[in-house]
Amino acid sequence: MSEDQDKYIAEVVEKALRGDMDAINNIEDRVTRSKAKAALIKAKRLSKTAAAEAAPAEETAQTDTTLTEKSLNQKVAEALAKKFSGSIDSEDVNEYIQLNGKNWFEIAQYLKDNPDLLFDSLQCITGFDFGEGEALEVRYNLHSMTHYHAIEIRIKTDRNDPKVPSVEQVWRIGDWFERETYDMYGIVFEGHHNMTRILCPEDWEGWPLRKDYETQETYHGIIVPKVKEGWE
Amino acid sequence: MGILENKFQDNVVVASMDKLLGWARSTSPWFFQFGLACCAIEMMATAASRYDLMRIGMIPRSSPRQADVMIVAGTVTMKMSLRVKKLYEQMANPKYVIAMGSCATSGGPYWQYGYHVLKGVDLVVPVDVYVPGCPPRPEALIEGLLKLQEKIQAERPLTKKIA
Amino acid sequence: MGVVHGDLMTLNIGPQHPSTHGVLRLKVKTDGEIVSEVEPYIGYLHRCFEKHCENVTYDQVIPYTDRCDYIASMNNNFGYAVAVEELMKIKVPERVEYIRVIVAELNRIASHLLALGTYGLDVGAFTPFLYMFRDRERILDIFEALCGARLLYNYIWVGGVSHDFPNEFVETVYSFLDYFEPKIKEYNELLTYNKIFIERTADVGVMPPEVAISYGVSGPNLRGSGVKWDIRKNETYSIYEKFDFDIPVGSGIMGTVGDCWDRYYVRMQEMVQSAKIVRQALKTIPAGNVHQALPKKIRPPKGFIYKRTESPRGDLAYYIVSDGSPIPFRLKMRSPAFTALSVLGEISQGWMMSDVIAILGSLDIVLGEIDR
Repeated sequence: MSEDQDKYIAEVVEKALRGDMDAINNIEDRVTRSKAKAALIKAKRLSKTAAAEAAPAEETAQTDTTLTEKSLNQKVAEALAKKFSGSIDSEDVNEYIQLNGKNWFEIAQYLKDNPDLLFDSLQCITGFDFGEGEALEVRYNLHSMTHYHAIEIRIKTDRNDPKVPSVEQVWRIGDWFERETYDMYGIVFEGHHNMTRILCPEDWEGWPLRKDYETQETYHGIIVPKVKEGWE
Repeated sequence: MGILENKFQDNVVVASMDKLLGWARSTSPWFFQFGLACCAIEMMATAASRYDLMRIGMIPRSSPRQADVMIVAGTVTMKMSLRVKKLYEQMANPKYVIAMGSCATSGGPYWQYGYHVLKGVDLVVPVDVYVPGCPPRPEALIEGLLKLQEKIQAERPLTKKIA
Repeated sequence: MGVVHGDLMTLNIGPQHPSTHGVLRLKVKTDGEIVSEVEPYIGYLHRCFEKHCENVTYDQVIPYTDRCDYIASMNNNFGYAVAVEELMKIKVPERVEYIRVIVAELNRIASHLLALGTYGLDVGAFTPFLYMFRDRERILDIFEALCGARLLYNYIWVGGVSHDFPNEFVETVYSFLDYFEPKIKEYNELLTYNKIFIERTADVGVMPPEVAISYGVSGPNLRGSGVKWDIRKNETYSIYEKFDFDIPVGSGIMGTVGDCWDRYYVRMQEMVQSAKIVRQALKTIPAGNVHQALPKKIRPPKGFIYKRTESPRGDLAYYIVSDGSPIPFRLKMRSPAFTALSVLGEISQGWMMSDVIAILGSLDIVLGEIDR
């Protein structure tokens, strides 16, 4: 009798948690009704603590505004995982989304055209060097002029043969930003119509912003390195 | 003075040819506006209404063929240094160069880690006057120009030089 | 009669040119007088700013940021200081915030005066250049009284400013504002509504808003195309929300929306709005110690930040990555003039040679910022 009673109480508590209080209120037996209500209160308390435990772990170093950003990043990550499976590299999407470069051009078009996201403005492309002998990374800061939200996307690539798909056809400013990243780090953007240096001269040697860059000795006969004779 | 005193009427000037040429060349040097960076703004301010450069005879010319003085104002980079040399060679003699600002003098604040910065424009063209400052005040630039005028006046182009 | 056909002629507007606002090279392909393609070449002023930032401490970076956009260096300092303070979670005193806004807006006026003066010079008007420089000298006098330098100030530091106001500074600024506001009418009579100027700039170089957003254009260039976007109002920082000012937007009064005249007029109106902000700030500036929140050693915690501020040229942003040491690990400056120049090729197709110069002048670029 008590096993059936427990199962019955569990059923009505489930219904009540979903918002349907009639099931409990219609129980004729007073004892059962009070047991059901007690079980409901306990169930509610348990779920609240579970949510409170989960929340602080995620809200570590964020301010109030990032509460909506957290859901934005989560939303974008879920949409990308559904549409382009296997492209997200890391599960932690609190501050940025780490992609692995596959289908990046299609993902960029999706981010720009999807009416909920509408990231129509590429703010900045930054190259990044983790250190000598480690990987290189490209970071994109996107922004939406209609929805006023922003997101950061990172793509890691190998140091010895860095290649990332180009997005210059999606956001036209990608053209010059990618040429600058190529000039400074040596990352080749596949599909770019004119992958040449933009800041340093065409015949410059080396990738200046890498951590292991050594300046060349002379350039067309002029001395380059840092200290002139007879200084200090 | 002495023998020549009180011997001439008005409107007769006696001087050595060197001095006359020096006076003519130094008092109207037309400058080649070669503004590269921040010092170019101070050069423009010097040529504008408050610190008028035209009162000492300098007019900005955009073509190297018409200019006497090249004021290199700003940082010279490696990419630009080849063009500086080319433009200097296109100027007609006699020509002078003023290096304005600490970047043109010796690389400026970019001397230490600037891989693309030329450490002083005197590595590619011969410089006559260095004007230090970052950026030099318009008064400092005018002092540099006056020093250049003194230098031009002290030149003696006609005198036979020994060796 | 037969039509004369020919090949396209490639013309070089070289790095040394009186109208290119610095060392910029334009490779222009023309068919007679009509331009069919313009390709900008930059890098002639690449001074390795980002490499320097990876080798000097956080407060030593500030003079280098001055020299990137040398016409509006207070705004460059401001953007950097705001970014590092947000990374380190420093709160600066009220007085410092007011001082920063006052000098940033005064520098905005000075920068626009230079931009408009040289724009007039480009299209052939010499007098407005002299008039605007005369007024700009008065602002530079104010700055010289404040911090000792005319052009590159190194004034706004992380956590505060370097000097407090000297004696009678507030009266000096008030007298400048009283002198300056009637001058706008003078400039309008000289240049803005001048028939020749209108014929040279109205309907020329139209930039549609979609093109502008795709090329990342921001600031007065974007507002000239009708898009009402200003970081001071949309993603407000410092204490800009306390002040009441408008955002002027181009509306095609003289020609089409987004032409050169619109961009020029937006800048002219912005000077009026900046003067309004300075007046409001001076009225309510509180007392205080400006050196109170200066940190002894700047060591931000590990992390990164991307912070945007509004410089006279547009949307200036700093991307700073810190690894806990007193030297930045990576510092990238996203300059607004870089994106403004990239749109030149797109909007100058089909115009004549002299129109290309007019369009380039209306974009208000500074090569120091583009090449860094």
